[in-house]
Amino acid sequence: MPISLFRRKTEEPAPAAAPRRRPAPRPPAAESYEPAEPVTLTDDPLRRFLEQGRYGIVLAHGEAWAGQPGIEEVCRAATAAIDDRFALVPEGFAALPQTVDDHPGCPEIDVPVEPFLLALDPVTHAEFQLFVDAGGYQNLELWPEDIWPHIIDFRDLTGRPGPRYWREGRHDRRLADHPVVGVCFYEAQAYVRWAGYRLPDEAEWQMAASWRIRSSANTLRRYPWGDALDTTRCNIWASGVGRTVPVTEYESGAAPNGVRQLIGNVWEWTASDFSVVDAEGNPVVGDMLMKSIRGGAFDTYFPAQATSCFRTGLAALARTHNVGFRAALDLGGR
Amino acid sequence: MSGTYATVPQARIGATVDCMICGTPNGPDAAQCRQCLAPMALVHDAGAQEAPPALVSIIGESNVGKTVYLGFLLDMLSQRAGDFEAIPKGAYSIDLQQTVISHMAARAFPPKTPMEADRWLWAYYQVHHRAADRWVDLVMPDMAGESLAAEVAAPRTFRVIRDLLTRSAGSLLLIDAALAANGSPQPDFFGMKMLSYIDSMRGARRDQRIDTPTAVVLCKADHCPEAFDDPRRFAEANLNRLWNLCLSRFSNVEFFAASVVGSLAYGTSARQEFVSLIPLHTALRGILEPFQWIIDQV
Repeated sequence: MPISLFRRKTEEPAPAAAPRRRPAPRPPAAESYEPAEPVTLTDDPLRRFLEQGRYGIVLAHGEAWAGQPGIEEVCRAATAAIDDRFALVPEGFAALPQTVDDHPGCPEIDVPVEPFLLALDPVTHAEFQLFVDAGGYQNLELWPEDIWPHIIDFRDLTGRPGPRYWREGRHDRRLADHPVVGVCFYEAQAYVRWAGYRLPDEAEWQMAASWRIRSSANTLRRYPWGDALDTTRCNIWASGVGRTVPVTEYESGAAPNGVRQLIGNVWEWTASDFSVVDAEGNPVVGDMLMKSIRGGAFDTYFPAQATSCFRTGLAALARTHNVGFRAALDLGGR
Repeated sequence: MSGTYATVPQARIGATVDCMICGTPNGPDAAQCRQCLAPMALVHDAGAQEAPPALVSIIGESNVGKTVYLGFLLDMLSQRAGDFEAIPKGAYSIDLQQTVISHMAARAFPPKTPMEADRWLWAYYQVHHRAADRWVDLVMPDMAGESLAAEVAAPRTFRVIRDLLTRSAGSLLLIDAALAANGSPQPDFFGMKMLSYIDSMRGARRDQRIDTPTAVVLCKADHCPEAFDDPRRFAEANLNRLWNLCLSRFSNVEFFAASVVGSLAYGTSARQEFVSLIPLHTALRGILEPFQWIIDQV
């Protein structure tokens, strides 16, 4: 599978701009909701995988499907799509703070990270729509068995299966290229399974953002672009936007391999349980299982909570307005 | 001279200065009003202004989040959030904001507001609403929920509360939406008591309704997103007693939802009988909207 080793950022960093201050808009009322039109897919099951963005599935099953008409062309297209939409995160380390009081000098554990592929962008509403339309909420194979009783609760504002803030099972077409939000950890996990990917674990996510590659320099970045906060490179509260933006914005805040919006816009679910202790070494727990989320969101008030190393967690079943996810893939295509 | 807005030089020559909150004359060097314990610095700062400041009360029961709400509101205003910018009058106005922000940034809630009125933190800000191009001087104290409850239960226990609410140009009534959504009637009853107290204090006749702007803010709404979806509908369903009292006695009331904490966790210990609450990260939502609604009408 030919994958570009490193994407080069071709553009210069965005010039410093005056901080934008706009009032946070209220969520669109029902009467202003503009549902996305249904997408018509091809009848060819192999090509349908491509149209649905399930490139990982194609790569994982390509050999097993050998002999199917057109399989070689479909595999080539899937490989090219992954090459275009994922970037290599090189081997490195992630230093995970172990205490909830994560001040400099607090106990950390160095976790080695193997090279892997990480999606350039978070999953969008439009991409998640394809999962919903394909019956992802009805396909129990995608969900852990202990979550089956909860799937009936994964409804939109009108009671249809889908993210929390959709209506009638459709996303608002004006937000098609914004990161999907209102999905719990299990919905994120079901999507990536359906598409043939996985969620990055916490150490992988931190490695991608802090870029602590294995080298003699042993440095890490506080932000993917460097060590200083720059609100023109990310969408947090101090950026003054007050809502999500399309996933391709803030190119100047990308990591060296081109992965965008690791900081800000939406928090991102990871595959890891959230596990820290307090100052006395006692476990910090939530009302239910908490999964690690990373990166901060458009409404993250403290810039120190939107850095490459800041650890926090959220109830795995929470479906909030500011948490999305992105896909990861092993180098072998798994 | 005895006047509400005595200037500092006048005060220094020995004249008494009337308290802005209760009107009691105080000596020129008094730090706090001898009657209601409000800081006299408010009066000195207000004296230099063209018009008296408007009082905005933030009320609610203990642990509803008044201090955190007010601290973040002030901090957002001082960072030119939304259509607003705000200038603190006097260093004392920054204490509340600083306390809240420094604690929350370190993943801890600020200490409880003491019951004693002389230990409350007050904030005096000049707020510029850019869209309307108007300035409003606002004084907002951080009152303790226990003190509010005591005053409501036995009027005139805390004279400063009664005087504040009498003179308030608008009120934000904070309600614990998470508790209400969980089936507890407590937020409903406390909200009713608070508004009944104001109703009784204003002495409005049965056929009159109180027109002081009152924003009912459903706090901790991150635990019940339905409150964000439609605050009015949430209030009608989960705070029906309060809802009906608002309809029958208050002509200028609006409902909002707000949250500050993005995720809450607990520090546990086998040795301790209680758990400590840990705000893992902040996610501000709905903080400015009720304030803007009040400001638009002050």
